[in-house]
Amino acid sequence: MISLAGRDILHAWGKFVFTGVGLGLLIGVTLTMAGVYRGMVDDARVLLDNSGADLWVVQQDTLGPYAEPSSIADDAWRSVRLLPGVAEAANISYLTMQVAHDGRDFRALVTGIADGGPGTPGWPLRLVAGRHLTRGHYEVVADEASGLSLGDRVRIRRIDYRVVGLTRRMVSSGGDPMLFVAFRDAQQAQFQKDNDALLAQRRRTAQDPAFDRPGAYGLRDAVIASQASSHQANAVLVRVEAGTAPAELAERIRRWTHLGVHDRTQMDAILVGKLIATSSRQIGMFLVILAVVSAAVVAFIIYTLTMGKVREIAVLKLIGTRDRTIAGMILQQAIALGLIGFAVGKIVATFWGPHFPKYVLLLPQDALAGLGAVVVICTLSSLVAIHAALKVDPAEAIGG
Amino acid sequence: MTRRPLPRSWFVAAALLPLVLLLAYVALRAGPLAPVEVTVAPVRSSALAPALFGIGTVEARHRHRIGPTLAGRLASVEVDVGDAVARGQVVARLDPLDLDDRIRAAASAIDRLRAERLQAQSRARTARSQADRFETLRQRQLVAEDAAQARREDAAAAEASLAALAAERARLQAELDALRSQRQNLALVSPIDGLVISRLADAGTPLVAGQAALDIMATDGAWVHARFDQATAIGLARGLPAEVTLRSAPGTVLPARVARIEPVADAVTEELLAKIAFEPSLATPPPIGELAQVTVRLAALPATQVIDNASIFHGEGKTGVWRIVDGDLAWTPVELGRTDLDGGVQVLEGLAEGDSVVLHAAGPLRPGGKVTVVDHLAGRQP
Amino acid sequence: MAEAVPGGIVVEGLRKRYGHGDTAVDALRGVDMRVAPGEVVGLVGPSGSGKTTLLKCLGAVIEPTAGRMTIGDRLTYDGRWKIRDLRALRRDLIGFVFQAPYLIPFLDVTDNVALLPMLAGVPNAEARRRALELLDALQVSHRAKAMPSQLSGGEQQRVAIARGLVNRPPVILADEPTAPLDSERALAVIRILNAMAAQFQTAIIVVTHDEKIIPTFRRIYHIRDGVTHEEAGEGRLPPPA
Repeated sequence: MISLAGRDILHAWGKFVFTGVGLGLLIGVTLTMAGVYRGMVDDARVLLDNSGADLWVVQQDTLGPYAEPSSIADDAWRSVRLLPGVAEAANISYLTMQVAHDGRDFRALVTGIADGGPGTPGWPLRLVAGRHLTRGHYEVVADEASGLSLGDRVRIRRIDYRVVGLTRRMVSSGGDPMLFVAFRDAQQAQFQKDNDALLAQRRRTAQDPAFDRPGAYGLRDAVIASQASSHQANAVLVRVEAGTAPAELAERIRRWTHLGVHDRTQMDAILVGKLIATSSRQIGMFLVILAVVSAAVVAFIIYTLTMGKVREIAVLKLIGTRDRTIAGMILQQAIALGLIGFAVGKIVATFWGPHFPKYVLLLPQDALAGLGAVVVICTLSSLVAIHAALKVDPAEAIGG
Repeated sequence: MTRRPLPRSWFVAAALLPLVLLLAYVALRAGPLAPVEVTVAPVRSSALAPALFGIGTVEARHRHRIGPTLAGRLASVEVDVGDAVARGQVVARLDPLDLDDRIRAAASAIDRLRAERLQAQSRARTARSQADRFETLRQRQLVAEDAAQARREDAAAAEASLAALAAERARLQAELDALRSQRQNLALVSPIDGLVISRLADAGTPLVAGQAALDIMATDGAWVHARFDQATAIGLARGLPAEVTLRSAPGTVLPARVARIEPVADAVTEELLAKIAFEPSLATPPPIGELAQVTVRLAALPATQVIDNASIFHGEGKTGVWRIVDGDLAWTPVELGRTDLDGGVQVLEGLAEGDSVVLHAAGPLRPGGKVTVVDHLAGRQP
Repeated sequence: MAEAVPGGIVVEGLRKRYGHGDTAVDALRGVDMRVAPGEVVGLVGPSGSGKTTLLKCLGAVIEPTAGRMTIGDRLTYDGRWKIRDLRALRRDLIGFVFQAPYLIPFLDVTDNVALLPMLAGVPNAEARRRALELLDALQVSHRAKAMPSQLSGGEQQRVAIARGLVNRPPVILADEPTAPLDSERALAVIRILNAMAAQFQTAIIVVTHDEKIIPTFRRIYHIRDGVTHEEAGEGRLPPPA
C-alpha cells in the first residue's frame, strides 16, 4: 500500500510548503509571545539570582528594594553583619535613571555595590568582557544590553565613568541594563541634586538668620555641606552561613535591628506576584488569545484543504478505499502540515527572538508543549474534516 | 525503457533536509540546553605593582587670614585676589577712626594729672612743714602729743596721695604709649611671600577684632587632601610617589608625593585621609576646592601566581575559580592576596602556574557543566 | 494470465422504493438482467427511467428494496446484502468506468491503476506489475509514469478502463463512458471494452444514450418506468480506421 497522504503532498508540495510556512509564522509568533512572557518572569528572577543574596534587609514595612523605595542608614550593615548566622552582609543601592553616552541617553539601573571585591553580595556574578571594579570611584561595569563597549565613557549625573567590564543578562525586572558602580558613587548620584537646585538651597540657607550668628563663624557653611551629602543605602544584601535556615536568620535580623527582611521566596513572590504581575497577565492573556486564534486558523486550513478533495475522496470511496484509509490520509496530511509549521515556527522564533528589545526566553518545555499542542490541534481539526469527508456519498461520483 | 528520473520524493526530501537540520541546530545549540561559552586565561607568575586610588580636593597647606587685632574700619585694601605679595608688604590699611582723639584724650588726661600733682605737692610740703613745727613745739611741751600726732598723719596722707598720683601718671602714660603704638599698626602686612586667594572685605567695612580681611597662601602651598577607602589602602605611607589628575585637566598627570597621612581618619565614610603634595611644585597653584584623582604607586611585590579579577567567583560560601581540567569545569577555592588597579590579583594558595581558569562566561557555571572554550565571547546569543 | 471469475452478473426482480406510504416512489419495479462473461451489453433509457438507480444498485452503492443479485457466482443480494463490507464487494467484484476518468490527480498513471489491488492487500510490486500489464493491453503503458494531468482525454479514459479491469472483477459498470468523446474516440473506447471483455471474460454493462455506440451492442436492455426489456442490438462494430 502506498501512502496516499505522501503522494498528495508530493504532488502539491508547493502549496503544502507554502501553507506550512504560513502556519509556521503564526506558530512562531505564538512561541515568541510565550518567550516574551517567560522573558519577563526571567528578568525578575535573574535580578534576584544576580544579587547573590539569600536575604534582603530593607526599610521596615516596605517591599523594597525593587518593588518599593526603601531607605536605611548606610551603617546598618554593621549591625546585621555581627548577628550569628550571617556569612556576609553588604550595602547596595539601586536607582533607575537616565544615563548619557555619546549623544544619546538610555534608561539603566545604577547599582551601587559595596567594597569587597568580586564575590561580595551585589557584585556581578560573572563577566563577559573586561574586569571588575578596582578603583573606588569613577569606574562602571555595564550590562551588554546598554550597548556600551569597554573603554566607553558614560555620564551619570555630573560625573563621567569609564566602562571597565561587561556583563550579560544582568538587568532590572523591567529589562533595563544594570550599571555597577562603587557604592559611594551611587550614593552621590542618587542624592546629589543638580547645580541649580544646590544653589537655590544654599541661598535659602544663607538667608536663614539662625545660621548666620556672628559668634558662630562657619555654622552656615557646615549646614550647607551637610545638606549636600547623604548616608543612606537602599538595602543590605545578606549571605547566610552554611547550616543556618534563612527564615530563622531573617527573624533574628528583624528582632534585633527592627528592619524589614525578605527571603528568596518572598522576594520571588513580590517581584513576580506583584511587580510584574499586571504586565505578565497582560502578555499571558494575549498569549492565550493568540494560541486560540492559531488553533482556529490551523483547523480552518486543514478543513479547507480536505474539502478541496471531495471528488477524489468520493472516487476513492467508490473504488473501495476503506474509511480508515481515507481518514488516515487526511490525518497524516494534517499532522505533516503541523510538523512543518512547527519546525518553521521554532526556527523563526529562535532567530528573531534576540532582536526584540526585551529578553525572549524560549524554553525546551515550551517548544515541546507547543509541538504537542500543534499535533493535537491538527488531529482535532482533521477529525472535523474527516467527519465531513466520510459523509461524502460515493454515489456522487456516479452522475445522476 | 528510458532511464527513470530521480523520484520526486528525493527533491522534496532534499528541500526538507535543511529544515530538519536547522531544527536540530536550534534545539541543541541555542537556548538553555546549549553548553556555556567561556574564555580562559592561564594563571601567570608575575610581580604585581599595586597602586591605590583615591579622590580628593585641592587645599591650601597654610591659609593666612589677615585681619586687625582690634576693632576698626578698613580704610583701603591694597591688593586683590590673585595678586602676588611679598613678605612684609602692606596689604591693607585700617582707618584710625577715633584713635587720634583717644590719644589726645590720653595726653590731656596726663596734663590734667600734672596740675593735680602740683597741687598735691604743695599740700604735701605744707603738711610736712606743719608736722615739723608741731614736733618742735611738742618737744618744748608747748602742744599736746595728739596734736603733734594729728599733724604727722596729715603729712603722711598728703605724701601718700602724691605717690598715688605719680602711679596714676605712669598708668596714663602707658595707655598713651599703647594707643600710639596702635596708631602705628594700622597697616596690615603679609607674613609670607605668596598669593592672595580671597578678599573678604572691601574698603569702608568695619571689622571686629579677629575678623579676616584677606586670605593669603604660599605660591607652592597647594596640596591635595585625598581620601582612600580604608579596606583597600594597604601600604599607604608617607613618601610614596603619586600621580594627580585634576578634574579640569583630565589628560594631564601631575607628579606628586604623599606628604602626610592624617592621624585622624574618617570613621563615618571609612576612609583614610592623606595630603598629597605636588612634586615639583606647580608654578600656578590650582584652584582651591577643585576635585582631583590621586593614584599612589606602591613598590612592586615579589612574584606570585596572578589571575585577573574577572576569574574570581563565589561558590559554597567561598571565593574561588573555575578551572578547566580535561575539558570540564572544576571548582577550586583559592586564597587571594593583593590587587593592582588593572584587575590583577595575587593567588596565594590553590593554583599552579599554567592552570587554565575561566575568565569570562556567557552563562551560569555548574560543576561538571558543559562548556565551550572560545577566543572571545561574541555579542548576544539567541 | 489469471482466469476471470466465471459467472457474469444475474439480476432478478430487482425493486427499489424511495420513501414510505403515500409519498413513496418506486424507481425500480422488477428488473431482470443477465450478462454473461465476455459480453458487452448496453443499458439504455431516458432520464427518470430508473437507469441511475439501477446502476447504483448494481454498483452496491445503494441498497435495493427487493430482488436478487448474483455477481460472478456469488449471491450478493437476496432481500438484504449477503456481503457485509460493501466496499470490499465493490472493490473485488465490480469495476467502474465513469463518464469522466476521475483519476486520482496526485498518483501517477501506474499507481492510479495499481491502487485497487493494493487496497485489496496485494503487495505493491505485484500490484504495479498487474497495472502495467493492463496499461500495456490498452496501449497506454508508454505513459506509465506520467501524472493524469499530462494525459490527453482519450489516454485518461483508457487508464480509467484499466483501473476498472485491474482487479479482474466479474462485472464492469460503465456509466456514459463515451459521452464527451467524438465518434472516432467513442468507437475506440467500445473496441477496447469489447477486447477487454473477451480477454478477461468480464461482463460489461454500458449505460449510455450515445447514438454513436448503441449500434455496436449485440444485446441492449431498455429501461422504462423501472422495468427492463431486453432487445437484440445491431452488433455492428466497425474496425478501426
